[in-house]
Amino acid sequence: MNKRMSTDMNDRISGALRSPITFSVLAGVLIGALFLVGTGADPIAAYEAVLTGSLGADGIGSTLTTGTSVLGMALALAIPLRAGLINLGGDGQMVLGGITAAVTGLHSPLPAPLTVVLALLAGMAAGALYAALAALCENHFGVPLLVSSLLLSYPAVSLASYLARYPLKEPGSSLPQTRALPDGVALPAFGDSTVTWGLVLVVLAAAAYWFTDQRTAIGYEIRMTGLNARFSAYAGVERRGLTLKLMSVSGATAGLVGAIGVLSFPYRFVDGSLTAPGYTWTGLTAALLATAAPLGTVVASFFFAVLQVGGLAMERTTEVPRELTQVLQAIVIVFLAARLRFPSRWFNRRKEAV
Amino acid sequence: MTPPPADPAVELRGITKRFPGTLANDAVDLTVRRGEIHALMGENGAGKSTLMSILYGMTRADAGSVRVDGREADFASPGDAMAAGLGMVHQSFKLFDSLSVAENVVYAAEPRRFGLVDRAAARRRVRVLAEEHGLAVDPDARVGDLPVGLRQRVEILKLLHRGARTLILDEPTAVLTPAEADTLFAVLKSLAGQGRTVILVTHKLREVLEGSDRVTVLRDGRVVARLVTAETSADEIAAAMTGRAVELDRIHAPGTPGDVVLDVSGLTTDGVREASLTVRAGEIVGIAGVAGNGQSELIEALAGLRPTTGGRVSLLDADITHASATERRLKGLAYVPEDRHAVGTAPAASVAENLAMGHHRTSLSSRGLLAPAGVRAHARQLIDRFGIKASAPEVPASALSGGNLQKLLIGRELAHEAPLLLVEQPTRGVDIGAIQNIHDQLIAYRDAGHAVLLVSAELSEIRGLADRVLVMYEGRITASYDKDEADERTLGLAMAGGTSSGAAVTVEAVDRHEQADVD
Repeated sequence: MNKRMSTDMNDRISGALRSPITFSVLAGVLIGALFLVGTGADPIAAYEAVLTGSLGADGIGSTLTTGTSVLGMALALAIPLRAGLINLGGDGQMVLGGITAAVTGLHSPLPAPLTVVLALLAGMAAGALYAALAALCENHFGVPLLVSSLLLSYPAVSLASYLARYPLKEPGSSLPQTRALPDGVALPAFGDSTVTWGLVLVVLAAAAYWFTDQRTAIGYEIRMTGLNARFSAYAGVERRGLTLKLMSVSGATAGLVGAIGVLSFPYRFVDGSLTAPGYTWTGLTAALLATAAPLGTVVASFFFAVLQVGGLAMERTTEVPRELTQVLQAIVIVFLAARLRFPSRWFNRRKEAV
Repeated sequence: MTPPPADPAVELRGITKRFPGTLANDAVDLTVRRGEIHALMGENGAGKSTLMSILYGMTRADAGSVRVDGREADFASPGDAMAAGLGMVHQSFKLFDSLSVAENVVYAAEPRRFGLVDRAAARRRVRVLAEEHGLAVDPDARVGDLPVGLRQRVEILKLLHRGARTLILDEPTAVLTPAEADTLFAVLKSLAGQGRTVILVTHKLREVLEGSDRVTVLRDGRVVARLVTAETSADEIAAAMTGRAVELDRIHAPGTPGDVVLDVSGLTTDGVREASLTVRAGEIVGIAGVAGNGQSELIEALAGLRPTTGGRVSLLDADITHASATERRLKGLAYVPEDRHAVGTAPAASVAENLAMGHHRTSLSSRGLLAPAGVRAHARQLIDRFGIKASAPEVPASALSGGNLQKLLIGRELAHEAPLLLVEQPTRGVDIGAIQNIHDQLIAYRDAGHAVLLVSAELSEIRGLADRVLVMYEGRITASYDKDEADERTLGLAMAGGTSSGAAVTVEAVDRHEQADVD
């Protein structure tokens, strides 16, 4: 019995080592090192800068702040992806959530703490409704979700941009931004860091996603739909309804990220500040990397937040441009898409030796 | 026939292949003489496919040697195997549907002229090959438009065009009608007569007895019998395959029908014209017919997966003509679909998750919560009850053999205890031992007072199980027989569109265009 259990463990460990994810990450790091050597930099120093810059005392706050947005968007994209649906409209849903939260925060007559809650909910509702629109386009007009969600994203971003530049523009400012939210209308921060309760909200969302995925009947239906849509249809899962639900939840999550962005520093909606860092695409990458599995999505999001923040630090200390971390990200994705893995005999041989 | 030369066409010695957890081939020796039709038999999981993929260069053996035409061979890819004169027709054809027959046949070995594909030469080549081997097929037809039997010919022509001396056919008759299968065997015999060698991977006894020269039987990765077809019997082969005596083609005693459970009148949908039938409790109604005559469409419409455009369907006196699939299931319907992999299961999901489908909203969940422990316990229970061979509920369903996957599917649907069960092709691609088990399960389900509507392309299955037999032809139900009237000849005639029986209904040809749409 003991022996069998240890073989089980071995199988599991070699399974994890052989997983395409391990291979892709290692290959990315290795090829990245070759790039570094090629440009005359010291790869060890560069990677060290990435790690200390993102995980050291000076960097961890920044990593967690970035991680909040990356994880939020990764969840927004993972939720429909679990059923095989791809929501490419994260930018639009997030920005609408942000501008709605800003308007709510500026005009709500409620006391500040309640206004914060209201602004979060309003942002989520805006994102949800806009994503639902993309789902309805697929369900009723046959526009593929991939297309409808992506194309609907542009007008939403433009609308928010217009609002921030004209009707809602801060009087007297030269920047395309709204007025700052009233005092107290902000997510509380931890100590004097930039990390806010937004991180807690996003982590709670991840926990809720995990619970739904693993412990509920609808989570089961979502997973089965992702693995074989015809199978779930055969058993009576109604695809249109599921698409609408998943897109609404996805949009709400994206809207939440936008609202968190507005309710944290700089406490206002600044045109472009939500979309410029590319959270949507980094989030999509993380969700794809983890094949939308809840825990994997969290880990992958953290990994990319580390790369993003560490890349900046590396640029400062070693003069290696931060684009290298993007190269790294890209290599990881390419290898992952190729589903490469270590040959099984590397592990079998060792297992036989045991 | 040319006298067999000294070197056998294929000689495998001591082939051993281990996969994690299983010994797929254990020191297998196989000798196939030149010019013979050699049947390689065994149940699913016995190691036939592994052995053939080693021979064909798709997998490498851990130990053992391969000799083809007397020469030592170590194929790294199917390309190498083809170059050595081997050719394989896979169970799922590898053809381009949108290309013509000639284009498919010459693909990757095109006759060239000034560096371009010489289409005229390709067509000529196909005509010559087709005539030489009695494989008539129109070189200009689009492969996607051809019936399955002809597509198989295209596959064989492809191998002949590349000069294959030894042909490996994997379960070649799984998709064929009895008549198409007979034609195939005539072709194989003539190929063997010209000195080519045929290896037939199958588990169908009848065709092995009629069409092969010698038989090698595998069980659990080992050779358990080497037989000369003329000197053996179906019982002997079946016993070797399963390791015990099996009763073949049993005709089960009729059931005792009760009240009407399913009442269909004038049902019309894409591919089905005004079908009327009833199924009573404690009764199995079989639908016979050549594949593609509307059986699948009828069952899909009944299951709620295809819109009903006319007629009325009631289940236990409730009108379900336009009910959704979920509503129908809640009212008392379970369904075993024809395609286990694409429809009936999610192969990448675990055995436990596959067994939970449909139960996840009823017995396994409360207030929308689904406890993993409950899902596992449910899986263990069904695994035991239906004898599904799975090492654990957590393994992916894709790791199960075809027969075990089918047991999983049937077990899951039977466990609903629904008053009406729809079953399509319950034993297609399933081995003998499992067939018996599945038939027994269906009979027990009927005897427990449930109604069963069975669609099968296997006449022996319909005759063995059904209390009443309906025949579908071109989208209509054209004949109805009681159990004792339904002999193979009568059914075969009705399936081919003949109307010899008094019970037969006049057949009106369904618009060809619509048929093409359905296919």
